[in-house]
Amino acid sequence: MSKSGHSRFSLTRIAALTGNTFTELVRLKVFYFLLIFALLLIGSSIFMAQLSFQQEFQVLKDVSLGAMSIFTSLLAIVATAQLIPHDVEERTIYTILAKPVPRYEYLAGKLGGVLLLLALSVVAMTALFLIALFVRQEMLVGVTLRQTSGLRPEQVQEAVRTLKASAFNVNLFPGIVVIYLKAALLASLTLFVSTFATSNIFTICVMVFIYFIGHLQAMAREYWLQQNSAGWIAKTFLALVALVFPDLQLFNLVDDIVAGTAIPGPLFAQTAVLGCVYISVYFFFAWVVFHGKEL
Amino acid sequence: MIKPAVAVRGLTKVFPIPFRRTRVVAVRGLNLEVAPGQVYGLLGPNGSGKSTTLKIILGLVSPSSGSTEIFGRDSREVGSREAVGFLPENPYFYKYLTGAETLRFYGKLCGLSGVRLKSRTGELLELVGLQNARDRRLGGYSKGMLQRIGLAQALIQEPKLVVLDEPTAGVDPAGSRDIRDLILDLKRRGITVLLSSHLLAQVQEICDRVGILANGVLVREGRVEDLLAIENQTELILQNATPEVLNDIAALLKKSSARLIEQRQPQTTLERLFLEATKAPAER
Ligand SMILES: Nc1ncnc2c1ncn2[C@@H]1O[C@H](COP(=O)(O)OP(=O)(O)OP(=O)(O)O)[C@@H](O)[C@H]1O
Ligand SMILES: [Mg+2]
Repeated sequence: MSKSGHSRFSLTRIAALTGNTFTELVRLKVFYFLLIFALLLIGSSIFMAQLSFQQEFQVLKDVSLGAMSIFTSLLAIVATAQLIPHDVEERTIYTILAKPVPRYEYLAGKLGGVLLLLALSVVAMTALFLIALFVRQEMLVGVTLRQTSGLRPEQVQEAVRTLKASAFNVNLFPGIVVIYLKAALLASLTLFVSTFATSNIFTICVMVFIYFIGHLQAMAREYWLQQNSAGWIAKTFLALVALVFPDLQLFNLVDDIVAGTAIPGPLFAQTAVLGCVYISVYFFFAWVVFHGKEL
Repeated sequence: MIKPAVAVRGLTKVFPIPFRRTRVVAVRGLNLEVAPGQVYGLLGPNGSGKSTTLKIILGLVSPSSGSTEIFGRDSREVGSREAVGFLPENPYFYKYLTGAETLRFYGKLCGLSGVRLKSRTGELLELVGLQNARDRRLGGYSKGMLQRIGLAQALIQEPKLVVLDEPTAGVDPAGSRDIRDLILDLKRRGITVLLSSHLLAQVQEICDRVGILANGVLVREGRVEDLLAIENQTELILQNATPEVLNDIAALLKKSSARLIEQRQPQTTLERLFLEATKAPAER
């Protein structure tokens, strides 16, 4: 019987909260310090020559994508962990929730801000990585042209084509999207942990723990399934473990990309869907804890 | 029948203390009604449950039992807060936002946008006297300035009900007078105000009705004049009374059954004195 038309869901409100969270994170400078780290790593790999060009590109991709994966994950955890506790401690949350803002919109705004920050970070790191790759490729093309100056034009072209093929590869993009999804998943899970955590340190410790378990559990599971015949109890247990500790190894496609093998479309789609499901499930858990929470 | 602006029915709030077997009863069986257009003052010593009551009315804390309503809508409905502005006690806002950005942010949360939001932001900064600090970050604001921006934020969407938890805490006497005038102005415009305060003189000046809480129980409630009137006493304040007139009055009193309890020179209040002395020379 609400006379006035208060909308239960407003994209403008969420956008305002997202923008605010993003501003908060940018002005807290979380972003810059991690970007500099990434820069350093990518930069250093440029000077790591003395290898055959295939190996060199492999090392460059390996280091860059590895760094990108670790930094976005860390950024996701560190940036998200303090958002809600900070608002609660400073009591700014009272002023926000005293406005007609449903709590799920508040949560969505917080997560949205982090996802935006992560997206921009990934785009920036990708750009740097591609520039590094391109610069190195052009340098090597120069070297190749000089070395092959006596050969026939077709042979020269062939040499340059092989070189370029091992430098840039469209498969990089799905790989990078998956890196982003992994970070987004971690952000959503961190948001959930931070709704009941007693301190930021607790949240970050739990998340680092989950991060490692998440990467190791695939191995553990294989070992475990070899040892025990997989009855339904074992399967349920493993499903539960997989819920609490997301199987992050599934989001690790860096090795395939570095090896230059194409990521099959179905595998990519499956990983992307899995990532979105994890994000939604953790967001829902966060809301379950947060919607009745005493502030 | 007109719906009350705020209705509190049988409200009890118990805070469990984790890891100990005790609990704190912050509010006990509270019943309150604030009529539209009224200025209502909630008084009480520290820890008597004022802030808790206000937070429950705004749906920030859930009641252990009983219910609260705003203009007939349950506080648990998000929509009940559409026409409400709230200033929490000792408010802190985002330090990294400037004064103008802060108001813009809260305005957007209330569904304002575009020209309307922009003009409203300017108006309110002017109203609370922060137009010179509009582009400074809140991290550099003083306590009183934060209180003012908090007040501006509460008024952003021109609410019908304004809830203020100790609006004058930490504000200098002149600022405190400004806030008092602002509340009186809200009242003139028919806006309901519910506030808590420790400044009794001010509450007496601006509130139509007060409730006094002690240990979470409402111990007194009613219209200010009714509560303060001493029924069997009358006050005379005379100007330019000669000693003869005073003697005549004393003689008259002797003949009646009335008794003179006290005769003194009225004094200005410390507040008025302070305001006089600290007035800026330009204003004087
Ligand atoms: N989140 C909480 N957890 C536990 N106890 C609480 C909580 N919030 C308030 N209390 C207790 O409830 C009681 C009432 O607190 P409240 O803040 O409402 O008092 P108040 O009247 O606003 O006091 P003040 O004048 O100091 O602002 C106090 O005993 C306080 O310790
Ligand atoms: Mg209080």
